[in-house]
Amino acid sequence: MTRTSEIQSQRQLVSQTLENRKRVVKFANQVASGVKAALPSDTVDGGTIARYKQTLERIDSYTTTIQRTKSLMTFQDDVLSQANDLLIRAKEIAQQGANESVNSVARQHLAEEVYQIRDHMASLANSTYQGRFVYGGVDDDDPPYDVSSYAEPASGGASKRYVFDAELGTGTARTLAVTDDLSISITTPADQVFGTAIESLERLGRALGGYKTTPASGAPDGGGAAYTFPSEYDQQTADILSTINQLNDARDNDILPERVSVGGRLRRLETGESLLALTKNSALEVLSRIQDADETESAANLAQAQTALQASYSVTAKVLRMTILDYI
Amino acid sequence: MANFGAKILGASVSSMTAQQALISNAANNISNVNTPGYTRRQIDIESRIDVATVGSILQIGSGVQLGDIKRSTNEFLEYQLRLASSKKGYADIRNDYLAAVEPTFALDGPQSVVGSALNNFFSAVNQVGVNPSNIDLRINVLQRAEDLVFSIRSAYNTVAEIQSELNQRVGLEVQTINSYSQQLATLNAQIGSREASGIAAIDERDQRDVLLAKLAEKISFRTLETPNGMINCQLENGFPLVNQETARALEVTTSPSFATATLPRSLSGEILSYVTYNFGSDASPSHLDLTQLIKNGSGALAGLLQLRGTTDPANTSPFQAEGELVAIATRIEALTRTLLTEVNAEYRGPDENGAVAGLQPSAGDLNGNTPGVFGLFDFDYTGVKDADGDGVASMSDLLAAASSLGDFSSIIKVAFDDPAEFAAARDNNPANGATVFPEGDGQNAAAIAALRSTTFNFSLASFSFTGTMEELYNATVSYVGNAKSAAQLDVDVAGANITSASNKRDEFSAVSLDEEFANLIKYQKAFQASARMIKTAGELLDIIVSLI
Repeated sequence: MTRTSEIQSQRQLVSQTLENRKRVVKFANQVASGVKAALPSDTVDGGTIARYKQTLERIDSYTTTIQRTKSLMTFQDDVLSQANDLLIRAKEIAQQGANESVNSVARQHLAEEVYQIRDHMASLANSTYQGRFVYGGVDDDDPPYDVSSYAEPASGGASKRYVFDAELGTGTARTLAVTDDLSISITTPADQVFGTAIESLERLGRALGGYKTTPASGAPDGGGAAYTFPSEYDQQTADILSTINQLNDARDNDILPERVSVGGRLRRLETGESLLALTKNSALEVLSRIQDADETESAANLAQAQTALQASYSVTAKVLRMTILDYI
Repeated sequence: MANFGAKILGASVSSMTAQQALISNAANNISNVNTPGYTRRQIDIESRIDVATVGSILQIGSGVQLGDIKRSTNEFLEYQLRLASSKKGYADIRNDYLAAVEPTFALDGPQSVVGSALNNFFSAVNQVGVNPSNIDLRINVLQRAEDLVFSIRSAYNTVAEIQSELNQRVGLEVQTINSYSQQLATLNAQIGSREASGIAAIDERDQRDVLLAKLAEKISFRTLETPNGMINCQLENGFPLVNQETARALEVTTSPSFATATLPRSLSGEILSYVTYNFGSDASPSHLDLTQLIKNGSGALAGLLQLRGTTDPANTSPFQAEGELVAIATRIEALTRTLLTEVNAEYRGPDENGAVAGLQPSAGDLNGNTPGVFGLFDFDYTGVKDADGDGVASMSDLLAAASSLGDFSSIIKVAFDDPAEFAAARDNNPANGATVFPEGDGQNAAAIAALRSTTFNFSLASFSFTGTMEELYNATVSYVGNAKSAAQLDVDVAGANITSASNKRDEFSAVSLDEEFANLIKYQKAFQASARMIKTAGELLDIIVSLI
């Protein structure tokens, strides 16, 4: 015969009540936190959840990097746009100055504007972004173009010339891994972008201002005597005309390609950003599926567990209250 | 002619006596209905032989007499209960302590766990590449590096402190076991003595069963009841914990006689104790090592030892111990050692000048300085850190320092606190042996950031893993989760087993009030009937007397 003692009944009832209470607490936590796996032992996917969390953190970090880089690229695009406008204006002046109806005095007046354009171009080459020289290569604490002077004239706009900084690192482009799969060059050394432009503007200014530039081609070396008029008027005109080709080269071979390149890099960054957003959504979806509690399911489970707990209380109270003493 | 009147009176009196005894026993059972370990008592009653009528045709009998009083116990069920108690003791302690470790590897909540800190550090280093000379970005790198070493130290120290607490608790559990063993030996002596004189030692046996169940919660053992009613308790190898009236006190020691060299340290630097029996004296001990034997059994002490870890006296490193906490700490330490070696080695950059002995760093900071051997992640140590003097942070350097340190996870630190000292640049000077570190150069930062996706071989003691640092951390999370899940499952199973074993035992041994009250009515009615028989016998005698 199977006996059932009071202590057995009590143990069984208390055990079931405690189990039901545990379930109520579990589902209440899920409903309150929205998470069903807060600790590694809550799921078999603990390692996977940790990996997805890291992926999301990494995506956030890469997104920040992309946004910073995009800001830098946009800044460069603005700089190049201005440089392009300056070259167009310089070319107009050169064409105007090359006209033989313009005498040497009028050319000197045009030279003043060219020097201003040149200085502006140099300041664009020496642009700073967040305190660093954008076109300074990896040596971005120094301006890529330093000011030097000509022996002749000793003063005035034509006496000034811009020399590319010879320090190591100024000519080195900087690259950055913006995502796991995307590494781009974020800066271009100033001489590769502005070298020809500054050089041609300097030659144009000096020619219009009445001074030759030596050597005849390549970077000016600081020399160049004054033209002798009227005998060298034609040479002055020829020198002005030759700078038009240089200005065209600067625009077509340096500024515009760089601007296209910057635009391309911006598009790659935007594509990278979009891919990161897609990856993030996908990771969030998977993470949510394996870590987050289904609110409806959790609420239903909670209601069910509460009902079971109430039933346990009721049954326990009723069963333990029953005694044979009531019948004898 | 037989005196039937006297017979009636005698039988009635014997019945009333017996029913009173039965009622008294029921009262005792009822009063102990909630006494833990109490086994209900049953009194045997039997028909009293009528000596006077033996051999006669009319053997009516002469009433009832009391037999033995018995405990309603079943040795097999008691054994099952002890077995379940042992498993529950083992499961509970592991589950409780693993629950304390688990939040260190939480999947949700504050981002101070190692995995997030590791990720944030590499992200911060990568972002330096946008503007290497930007002080804000450099400060961020230092803060994330500090977060990383803090999270590593915190995770490791949590595990180490729990191991230390378990080490202390081993001593307390052994004290309890010794106390139970001694009480069992004392009860054995009382039972043996009483039962030898023919008195049933019922209460003492109840107490002994309770003690055996309590002892089983602490340690697993086998029992053997001797003919004199005493119980011997033996460990799995036959070592007698209790031998009749004698108990053998286990000893917890950190200087066992079988140790021939300096014992290995624990994760926190203390000595992991051994559970032994000392055959010698305090002055001249001769320890028998029972640690592994107990660990392989069940009970709370086995759970403690398995979680805390046990170590061979010949070992030299805390990570050679066997145990779940040690396994978790080993994984953290393997990560730490990779940060100290591989990351630091990359941080110095390739050799700048092969013509000069030792590595000439090709990485530099904003001040134009090159980093030291442990230039990014360093550790508190007063000895020589670059033991082999090759200028590269390597495992051989760590092993040399580890002989006096043990672990690096509790002493790892960031080597500097000036953001300008972060060597983000690599040499831009093509000349051999001459260096230039432009401020905007982030090649070194990019090389460090790339280590996030680099596969390493993590190897420490018997642990080996190949993967990235994040993968190692994720594998550790899985390990902790699986260990805790297994412990929780053990607790659930052990809980169900002990409920089942207790129910089976109580089904047989516990007091049922229904049964006792029904018996009470039965005994009361029998008592009333016997009393009525005395009255009937009196009336019969009155009739006979009236005839005279």
